[in-house]
Amino acid sequence: MKDVTKLILEDGAVQDRRIYWDQDIYEQELEQIFARAWLFLAHESQLPKPGDFLTTRMGEDNVIVARQPDGSIKAFINSCPHRGNVVCHADSGNARSFTCAYHGWAFGLDGDLVTVPLEHDTYYDAIERPRYAMHPVAKVESYKGLVFGTFDASAPSLRDYLGDMAWYMDSFLDVPGGVELLGPPMKSILNCNWKVPVENFIADGYHVGWAHAAALKAIESPLSPLAGNQAYDVNTGLQVATRGGHGFGVIWDAAAAIHPDGALYRDWIAQREPLVREHLGEWRARFYNGHWDASIFPNCSFLYGTNTWKLWLPAGPHNIEVWTWTLVEKDMPEALKQMMVATNMMTFGTAGMLETDDGENMEQCTGSNRGWVTRRGKLYSGMGQVREGTHPELPGIVGKGSVCESSNRGFYRRWAELMSGRSWEEIAREPHYAPNRQVA
Amino acid sequence: MNAPTHVKTPANPRYVDRDTLFEVERFLIREARMLDEERFREWWHTQLTEDVHYVLPVREVRMRADKKPVGSNPGAYVFNDNYPMLDMRIRRLETGLVWMEDPQNYIRRFVSNVDAAWADVAGEVDAWSNFIVYRNRRQRDETVVWGTKQCRLRRVDGQWKLARRVILVDQRVVLDKNLYFFI
Repeated sequence: MKDVTKLILEDGAVQDRRIYWDQDIYEQELEQIFARAWLFLAHESQLPKPGDFLTTRMGEDNVIVARQPDGSIKAFINSCPHRGNVVCHADSGNARSFTCAYHGWAFGLDGDLVTVPLEHDTYYDAIERPRYAMHPVAKVESYKGLVFGTFDASAPSLRDYLGDMAWYMDSFLDVPGGVELLGPPMKSILNCNWKVPVENFIADGYHVGWAHAAALKAIESPLSPLAGNQAYDVNTGLQVATRGGHGFGVIWDAAAAIHPDGALYRDWIAQREPLVREHLGEWRARFYNGHWDASIFPNCSFLYGTNTWKLWLPAGPHNIEVWTWTLVEKDMPEALKQMMVATNMMTFGTAGMLETDDGENMEQCTGSNRGWVTRRGKLYSGMGQVREGTHPELPGIVGKGSVCESSNRGFYRRWAELMSGRSWEEIAREPHYAPNRQVA
Repeated sequence: MNAPTHVKTPANPRYVDRDTLFEVERFLIREARMLDEERFREWWHTQLTEDVHYVLPVREVRMRADKKPVGSNPGAYVFNDNYPMLDMRIRRLETGLVWMEDPQNYIRRFVSNVDAAWADVAGEVDAWSNFIVYRNRRQRDETVVWGTKQCRLRRVDGQWKLARRVILVDQRVVLDKNLYFFI
């Protein structure tokens, strides 16, 4: 295993460029991060009935996620234990069983082997069926409708894994009626390393005014003055890095800001915000009405407000699939849900006006590391490090302003912890980064 | 805005006469050249009706036995645009601040398999065609997108205009970083 202690330096602010390019580091990520961390699988609303299933990936492992007759959700590797063939080729559907196209082995909704053609005449009834169930995902748990899975039986509970990020996400997850994801997901590819878009969503308020200048001008909205960095005020937001590598930046009073026609959404927020305040308190009412750029470690990101929900699926060190859904509150009227979809598609869909700016940068940020000498260099995300600290009322490490790189550093500190191969218990026990400074 | 997720040949199409088919073909080919030459504003002004509906749905991969629609409505669209939304996309390109388009992309559209039938509405035709779009960028960044499209053309003041277009890209995973171009 590669020693990663020199790859991330200065409390996460300096990264070795090889982590975006080298095949051996990528293989170690598949083992130490994607085979251990909780990974986003689905939202429960995508699997309303028993037998409903969808296929997705955990790292590079194909999995089936299925609603069981008892209402629980299970997941297992979408590969036949006989000769390895992919068993289910549909994106989603409803099934009683999954039958392999090669020899006809069939598996139940729970992944158990239920049918073996010619079993009596060829195996002489000697096959031990339980040994050939589809490989299960060790743990599948939900948090307020969001379903995650981990291959690591020793991983902490999903609630503990999300930690303080769950407290923050409650601002929009814990609303009356909850949320749902509208799909089917858009899918496209980017020739970039999977960490580059995670960084972009978790911490990069910096690029918005520059990379998205054209879109900000074309979409006439309250955010248009950001175009070309004409205006920035550090008091208009903040950034949070939570222990566990999750984080986000927020711009206050801006949930509906990017919507070309935001009146319907602003009315909705005005109507719901008092409920959130009453239920969760003042801070989270502010977060409910903020615009967030966020990532859940390792590879799930979202923009609350624009309400795009992203999964960045690694496909080698220099390639990913981008999956995009729209996040909405279940209780929103149909017309508002349609508007949320329209805005998401127009901004961060496959032909989104802002998506298009980002994809190009992410590819070029990765591709430049092809150069052997270039790759020996370092990258720097130290913005705001001298001012970040703890907050009297908010959990995690808080950075000043939405243009800040605090949560980028938090992501890389977690990355290094897991990549070291140490156990969850060891990581939890050891001292971790805690700047001795308070942010008001 | 609800929108179709598939295209379909009607049971008894009333195929158009040779002259009309020629006009439809010229419309699609000239439109493609106009877009290749980045004459987007001219395209918006002269080739589209003001009630245009420009659609590119997202379609799931499903088993044949699964009778649910392949896309949900209005769950996911790459394009589900009206006239002002197309204007907004073009205004973005016109700012001169789209770094991805500078230096210029080379996009080349190929149109084939053109056919047309009279629609139920007088003065309108449904036109079917297949397309391939090549995009070449920077030094050697090259992508290909292909599929089919169904267009509703309307004769306005003696000129054909696009009133509705449903584009199907035959890739579940779009094998490109985005589809920010008109097909």
